[in-house]
Amino acid sequence: MKRISVDIGGTFTDCFFAWEDQYVEAKALTTHHNLAQGFNEALDLACSRAGLDRDLVLKEVDSVRYATTLGTNALIEGKGPRVGALVTHGFEDTIPLSRGRGYGEGLDPSKQQNMPDATRPDPLVPRALIRSVKERINSAGKVVVSLMEDDVRTQVRELVDGGAEAIVVSLVNSTENPVHEQQILEIILDEYPAHELGAIPVLLGSQVSGRKGEYVRATSTIVDAFLHEIMFHALGQLSNNLRTSGYDKPMLVIHNSGGMAQSNSTDALQTIHSGPIAGVGAAQHLAHSTGLGNVISTDMGGTSFDIGLVPEGGVKHYDFQPTIGRWLVSVPMIHLLTLGAGGGSIASYDRIHHAVQIGPESAGSDPGPACYDRGGLRPTVTDADLVLGYLDPDNYANGYIKLNKKRSVYAIDEVLADDLDMDTIQVAKIIKNAVDEQMAIGMAKELRVRGYLPEDFTMLAYGGNGPLHACGIADHAGIRRILAPPFSSVFSACGAGNMKPLHIHERGSHVVLYNPTDRSLYQSYDELNNVIQELEAKGKEDLIRQGYDAADIRYSLEMDMRYGNQLVTTAVVFDINRVSGVADVLHLIRTFSDIYGKRYGAGSQAPEAGIRAQTVRVSSYVDGDVVKFDSIDSGHDRTMPAPVGTRQVHFVKIDGAVDTPVYDAEALHHQHVIHGPAIVTTENTTYLVEPAWRLEPTSQGAVWFLKD
Amino acid sequence: MTLTANEPSTSGTAGDTAGDTAGDTSQPLTAQEQQWVDQFMDETTLFLGPDPAIMRSHQITSRSAYEDECISKGVDPIKVDRIRKRLAGALDEGYEMCEAMGAAPGAKWGDLTTAIYTAEGDVTYLSCHGVIAFSAILHHPIRYIMKYWKDEPTVGINPGDGFIHNDARYGNVHNTDQSMIMPIFREGKIIAWVAATIHEGENGACEPGGMPSGSETPFDDGLRMSPFKIVEKGELRRDLLTFLQHSVRDPKLQLADLKVKIGAVQRIQERVDSIIDEVGVETFVAALRVTVEDVEQEVKRRISELPDGTVSFNQFMDSTLKENILIKFACKVTVKGDKMTVDLRGTGPEILNRAINSPLCSVKSMMMQAILAFWWPDLPRCTSAMSPIDIISDEHTWADAGYDAPMGQSLQASFRGFSALQTAFAKMQFSNPEKFSNVLAPWFNQINTFLWGGLTQHGDQVGNLCADLNGMGGGAKAFRDGEDAVSPLFCAMADTAEQEVMEEEVPFMQLVSKRIVRDNQGFGKNSGGMGYEMIVAAEGTPMWGFMTVTSGSKFSSVTGMFGGYGCSTTPLAMVKGINIYDIIRKDSSKFDLSMERIMNEQPYEGGKYTTAHMGLQFDVAKDGEMYMIAQGSGGGYGDVLERDPEAVAKDLELGRISPKVATSIYGVVWDPETFVVDQEATTQLRHDSRQARIARGKPYKEFLEGYVKTEPPKDLLYYGSWGDDTEELTATHFTNNGPERVKATIDKLPLIMLPDRREVKISALEDRIRELELKHGEVVHRKS
Repeated sequence: MKRISVDIGGTFTDCFFAWEDQYVEAKALTTHHNLAQGFNEALDLACSRAGLDRDLVLKEVDSVRYATTLGTNALIEGKGPRVGALVTHGFEDTIPLSRGRGYGEGLDPSKQQNMPDATRPDPLVPRALIRSVKERINSAGKVVVSLMEDDVRTQVRELVDGGAEAIVVSLVNSTENPVHEQQILEIILDEYPAHELGAIPVLLGSQVSGRKGEYVRATSTIVDAFLHEIMFHALGQLSNNLRTSGYDKPMLVIHNSGGMAQSNSTDALQTIHSGPIAGVGAAQHLAHSTGLGNVISTDMGGTSFDIGLVPEGGVKHYDFQPTIGRWLVSVPMIHLLTLGAGGGSIASYDRIHHAVQIGPESAGSDPGPACYDRGGLRPTVTDADLVLGYLDPDNYANGYIKLNKKRSVYAIDEVLADDLDMDTIQVAKIIKNAVDEQMAIGMAKELRVRGYLPEDFTMLAYGGNGPLHACGIADHAGIRRILAPPFSSVFSACGAGNMKPLHIHERGSHVVLYNPTDRSLYQSYDELNNVIQELEAKGKEDLIRQGYDAADIRYSLEMDMRYGNQLVTTAVVFDINRVSGVADVLHLIRTFSDIYGKRYGAGSQAPEAGIRAQTVRVSSYVDGDVVKFDSIDSGHDRTMPAPVGTRQVHFVKIDGAVDTPVYDAEALHHQHVIHGPAIVTTENTTYLVEPAWRLEPTSQGAVWFLKD
Repeated sequence: MTLTANEPSTSGTAGDTAGDTAGDTSQPLTAQEQQWVDQFMDETTLFLGPDPAIMRSHQITSRSAYEDECISKGVDPIKVDRIRKRLAGALDEGYEMCEAMGAAPGAKWGDLTTAIYTAEGDVTYLSCHGVIAFSAILHHPIRYIMKYWKDEPTVGINPGDGFIHNDARYGNVHNTDQSMIMPIFREGKIIAWVAATIHEGENGACEPGGMPSGSETPFDDGLRMSPFKIVEKGELRRDLLTFLQHSVRDPKLQLADLKVKIGAVQRIQERVDSIIDEVGVETFVAALRVTVEDVEQEVKRRISELPDGTVSFNQFMDSTLKENILIKFACKVTVKGDKMTVDLRGTGPEILNRAINSPLCSVKSMMMQAILAFWWPDLPRCTSAMSPIDIISDEHTWADAGYDAPMGQSLQASFRGFSALQTAFAKMQFSNPEKFSNVLAPWFNQINTFLWGGLTQHGDQVGNLCADLNGMGGGAKAFRDGEDAVSPLFCAMADTAEQEVMEEEVPFMQLVSKRIVRDNQGFGKNSGGMGYEMIVAAEGTPMWGFMTVTSGSKFSSVTGMFGGYGCSTTPLAMVKGINIYDIIRKDSSKFDLSMERIMNEQPYEGGKYTTAHMGLQFDVAKDGEMYMIAQGSGGGYGDVLERDPEAVAKDLELGRISPKVATSIYGVVWDPETFVVDQEATTQLRHDSRQARIARGKPYKEFLEGYVKTEPPKDLLYYGSWGDDTEELTATHFTNNGPERVKATIDKLPLIMLPDRREVKISALEDRIRELELKHGEVVHRKS
């Protein structure tokens, strides 16, 4: 396998380069004005490390894959075209009213609860650019009010006259019958032909999401339209860069569904959060290929703590209505929980309970923690880490940031120590312990609500602050095994190297598997099979368009199921693709019951209230080459390496400073073991081996943290 | 002399037997005599009704001896804080389970809570999402269970037991909420309680949906569950479950959500068990108690930081949801030092055959909502947040109703409890240097939505409501406009939901679903958040009906703040006798719906166009008959003439306000083609408006002489105190000789019951017929 995988983040562009059995990691600063520059720099570094010629590499690799936060950033910065929207008569304010709760989407719970401060974000579509057309389709897909062509032309002209640079058409119940949306598209193309200068991109809700929910579908389509241009240009820039460098294959873009596709088969919406999700994908591949069992991936950076679930057996957890930035959308996205806790989280005095509150405010990177010496005056988690001796002030963030310990001490003393009547070290320990426990609580809750127990999981820790806090978090969560994974500094890019070409299509359905009113089981087998076939055909078309062989395409059937009138559905993956009799129906019911019972407890199932499938979904994919992870064994006979020095370090459960050995990661190999307390410095991060833990290096740069 | 038991709760008709012998001239009983009387009363108890000693108290209990013992062994605030955060995680886990698994619309939009309580029932911590009001209410049923069922041989409390409850008379926001309450035992002792509560909707009341505006007796309110054991040692009792399912319209919902609540509580219990195992029972018990006490101290501190003084805020409800009346909700908030007193005296009397009455505990729960969500949203959600506040209220007013009053629409009174405190606080905190939330005009305070019921297109019998009640308009802030249709006053992050999902379940469409209604705005320097209109019509069902349960169609109780205007008033409008679906299927151009246009132009031939107040009892809807209402707005803030003219022009251009409002209210002049503000003409118009105000102005004394009357207008059905005197209430009661206005203290007022409005109407029609018969000489022989 010869492959280049890149994760373009806000600060760094990470590159994972596979050349047959040789794997190389490289990083460069992201160049926001022209992403290709950062990419070239990272690739050059990788090639030089591999001793290969760049042109040769680009000519011979099978693919170049991108995961990018570009769309996320554009959304946050509000950079995009003026989007206009056409909606169904009577629903003119559905988008701006955002289901009421839109004021709080994407905010910390404490801000969501502050109702007197509720303020919606600036809209992506101004109210003046929303027009309605007289039409209506009912929930069964039947036309109640036919579309009026003149009415459509008038509304479209008003939108264009109002300055719309892209038009979203999102009508009620268009998932059941898209005929009106398609008619409107034809009318717009007639009014403003595609070949004419200044032609307006038109996006249809029914093409972006097959799921019921007129607000989330409209928002998804709007986000897509809003990001379309910037993504088109950015990906084009990257693609041209590759082409001029001799790469003649299609560029592949990582999707937040956990798959990937060529840029011509990619919606902008599908690229949001694709970097962190590629990390979850890497965790999944690692777990599967090395037999790690249940894995929870954690990525702790400066402002957030991302958690991904990779349970054994290939069960995938999706968010079907995730929040992207401040917007609730409808797209099947690999579940990723983001907790607002990181190195930048601010510690404040809680006068009610005479305790310490961590977050939700973050110092971010500007001004950043007090020790950054950029004007931050409030103590943060990083300040506590520095005061406790975990961080080397001269070698933080690859040496890009020099830390000033005096600032940390001052901030902690001023804001907390006096009120708590404690010394600086005591307070710093409280901060460290509190943030670890807070993240452990969030992580454990995440597992338990899905029916898992934390103690059954291995924790993958990566990201700048991950291996520093991993032991503390795991201790609180009851986890005994932590793995800083192979290629951890570019782990998400590594994940991009394993993604499959994948397309997910879904459709809202009303499949009553068991009707309690007349006590009947589902019998319309052909109807359901036709829906499945239609969704498979869409996936097949997507993959064939990208040059894949029809014979290589695989399909997986999933349904979102519920008991009675539950709103929240449970995604269930089935091992059959067609339903042809009572046995199959009962099989579907049993599969759902097993998953539900595992998640919410045996006996929690309520089949007596009825069993329904709300959405039918088909994943179409093609298997391919993947990164080969070496065995990541632990245990066996190991020796203690020599430290490169010692440092005075404070640990939460030990009074007084501990003269702690410091090791250089470069000098470690898989025959070594380091017993905590210890510190290991690496190029990108710091490993903190807490007391009662030991560190065991293993293959491909990975290290185990194991509880004694 | 009336002999009464010392134990008021063990009475025949609870709540009416407080042993007050004041004014009695007989000798007091000896201790021995009292013991005999008590014993006799115990032996002749008819049933255990709500206990006034429990129900009147919103304060936390005193430390128990065991709590004292646990705390005396030393409390490390940092350790307690860690326990608290883990409890919060456990409660959120249970909350998420309820939200994910729940079938009730309430569960879907977050109208639920999970909580942990001390052994005595004080709420220590509530899930960080959901309805805060529950933190002021659920101690009542727990105290009841502890007092009456713990040692009752036929009941008892054992590990794994679970108690269900819904009746607000025993402590609840309203009867549509159902709780599952389970004890936590250690070494044979109850050390805490865990509960989950969900707004279930349907509860078998006289109308579907759980909040019947048509209830005329407590028995019309549907299920009236006093706290009873339905889970025994972990097993759900099927006989009782069957009884409950048999008693409601939606047995599937009753089953599914009961399981959900049990599952969530058991999950929380597991987490709590592991915390106790780790920190020990004593530390755990101390942590619960210390948390409650910490919050009480903090509230006292915050009250003491407010300036001393009194703020009065009186509200009026303009209907019983059946007929037009004016009933007062009186409120006076006084701060002195670290004491706050909320005085509700002067509030109108309960009306014994109307649904609008509320028990005091429900009113208090909504006051707690104002305190914890709007005053101090950073405070932990404990019972003790209201502990330092004294509340004075006369029993048998509509905001402090007795046992025999129907309460199907108790939110009418309890939401006004919220508004009273939310509004008063804007004034109390205005000049305070330290604020914990924004100074805010009143939030909208009514449930403007459709309740519905009947047979669905899938053949299911259902009854519930549209989530549109969650689109209440936010009050204007001191520094910017309020948010349009943003959130119900009782729950942050609630959801107005997706119509497509709704339409799949029920046989009606919202033909107009979300469209802001022009001029439906609390005008002001900063305007209140606006409300949207809803037009619904059923189709394809043999039996369907709608109802609405809102007051304020004539006189809104949502006021403005510091010169801003209040919410506008909108009626319920209906077009009966047509099938809109037939019309719009034939001609798409007729699909041009808005309440304003339909009612003004009456475009559908043969239709019967009516408007009424928004208290519609269950009304059978034929295919295609249209029902129209609008969500209300929040109050405006500040003088309208100070509003940025550009903001006015923008609202005008978007059709949010009419030209008339822009000119006559906001004093803005603009170019009708371009919507560009004419600054000079606007300045002049505003100057003229101010001069006109000055011209209209009068000295205060003169104003009082001209406007203040000694009593309400004669023809007005007015209930409540009049003027500054809150001792005596004015009321109209109906005698055999017709209506009669009385003025008396609450204990001397006659029972207030209103005549059946259909009988009144029939009687008037009969009189008219006789009048016409006489006039035209027609001779009619009647048997009676």
